[in-house]
Amino acid sequence: MEGVLYDGLPREAAKELRLQPQGSEEARAFVSAFLKRSMPKKKDEAIRDALTRKAVVLEHRCARRKKPKRRKTKTFTARQRRELRLFEIEPEQQRYELFLPLHELWKQYIRDLCYGLKPDAQPQMVQSKLLKADLHGAVVTVTKSKCPSYVGITGIILQEFKHVFKIITKDNKLKVVPKINNVFRLETDGFISYIYGSKFQLRASERSAKKFKLKGTIDL
Amino acid sequence: MSAPLRRLQQAPRHLLVCEKGHARHERSRHAAHVRDHAYNCRVSVLIPECGVLPQVLKSAVADLGEYYVVRGLSVHQLVAHEFVESFVRKGSCYALAYNTRIDQDNTAALLPTGKLILSVDKDTYEELGLQGRPSRYSGKKPMRYIITIDLTDSSFHPDGKKHKRVLWALKEKKPLEFDFLLAWYNSGAEGSTLMSYFSKNQIQALKPKVTFSTLRDLQCPVLQSNELQGKPEESCSTEELFEWLGAVLNQVNLDNVSSSFLSTYCCPQPNTIVDQAFLCTITGFIIPEKIIQLLEQLCCYFGEPKLAQWLTLTVHGFADSPVSWRENEHGFHKGGENLYNFVIFRNLDYWLQMALGTNDDCPP
Repeated sequence: MEGVLYDGLPREAAKELRLQPQGSEEARAFVSAFLKRSMPKKKDEAIRDALTRKAVVLEHRCARRKKPKRRKTKTFTARQRRELRLFEIEPEQQRYELFLPLHELWKQYIRDLCYGLKPDAQPQMVQSKLLKADLHGAVVTVTKSKCPSYVGITGIILQEFKHVFKIITKDNKLKVVPKINNVFRLETDGFISYIYGSKFQLRASERSAKKFKLKGTIDL
Repeated sequence: MSAPLRRLQQAPRHLLVCEKGHARHERSRHAAHVRDHAYNCRVSVLIPECGVLPQVLKSAVADLGEYYVVRGLSVHQLVAHEFVESFVRKGSCYALAYNTRIDQDNTAALLPTGKLILSVDKDTYEELGLQGRPSRYSGKKPMRYIITIDLTDSSFHPDGKKHKRVLWALKEKKPLEFDFLLAWYNSGAEGSTLMSYFSKNQIQALKPKVTFSTLRDLQCPVLQSNELQGKPEESCSTEELFEWLGAVLNQVNLDNVSSSFLSTYCCPQPNTIVDQAFLCTITGFIIPEKIIQLLEQLCCYFGEPKLAQWLTLTVHGFADSPVSWRENEHGFHKGGENLYNFVIFRNLDYWLQMALGTNDDCPP
């Protein structure tokens, strides 16, 4: 270490600066004499201490142990899920007739849910069941909407996301209809229900567990 | 003074546009203004220094045509291809929903240019499913929407998507039904009449009601045709004339008698007293073409020398009409006036005053 401090100046640099380089012994003697003169009160040991290199710790950080990341199973991120395209329906399969059996299944499911759907059944009971029911396969019509172009779209619900319905119409067109600011009309065996989409902005799985409260207005 | 009282004393916003021109000038726009104002419910003619119905007016008043009242007509019948072909394309067809209030209910109107205007409230707009725009006179949250459908558009043929959608919306989704006032004007070739077309609905043909009266000892302001603003001692301005005319047509006493508490209005100075003045009032659904004929006959009145210096023709529009001039929106705030007034002078100069209320666009 001391060798680096007291190393001689390279000859070319010395010639440029017009200096006469000193040898290392002379340089060391000069430095100690200079220090003794500038700090007369300090003892020799103190001066020698100051010369020894001491590392200055600028930031004090203790190394944090990384918590082991708990991964129960190998799950995909949302992006990977979208790339897998599990939920996309190909154009060849976008045919209304293909989904009619699904609609029949759904009707049966609702009938079972409501214990038969007799004409004298109470509408409240049917409605409370429908609130928690799964709507995949229901035939639905948009009755009221803040945007007039959505009014009149009729079809079978293929997919229900948090904010939209994917509906296939009789013309084999897949329409994406947002739930917000829309009123949907659902018909089951003579019971007509109106779904106010603005209050329905939940994933189908979460809706079964949610308690609905009367909040705000149903005015669009 | 508290705020409500102050608001009662302020007059609501109104607009009066005054124009000057010469009836025989080639670029005179008097006929164009009359034609643009489609729906007229009352026409009044005031001729000073005249006691009886003048010869020139006799034929014009007799030939006012007739209008029809149809009860319970659905709007989709006006959109039907047959109707468009027989009436809208051949001649000018006027239709206005009757007994509806423009600020509360839905209204429909068919302009002679072939445009169907539906002025609907928010719930109806959301259920109907036809694209429109919010009205210019609703606040931040629009409560009123205007839907315009062009029936003479080339893309509006019976097989087109547009036509199908309009018919579906008006027939099945949300049927709209009104009592309509109808009138049809076609120059020349006879086609089937409205009476026979709507024979299945309750259609009734009516003639406009005409009344005459003679006013005695009337104070008339002195006017000079080239001075719209009026000179202080020589003639009155257009605003003063307008107010005076309103007072006369409403039979307000101009004496300012101290015992009367109804009005303190006086005839503006300078004025003259005329012995008699003839007032003719026509009420009904009057189409602009007839008014243009009436205007022409009134210009011919000054063909022979007469005592009168000027005469006036006032036309009132419907307070509940959704449009005022052309397709300008018309609303009802505290009054739904949309009227215009011609003052025709001896030398065939004319003054045209167009007056509108609060929720109205400026006339062209």
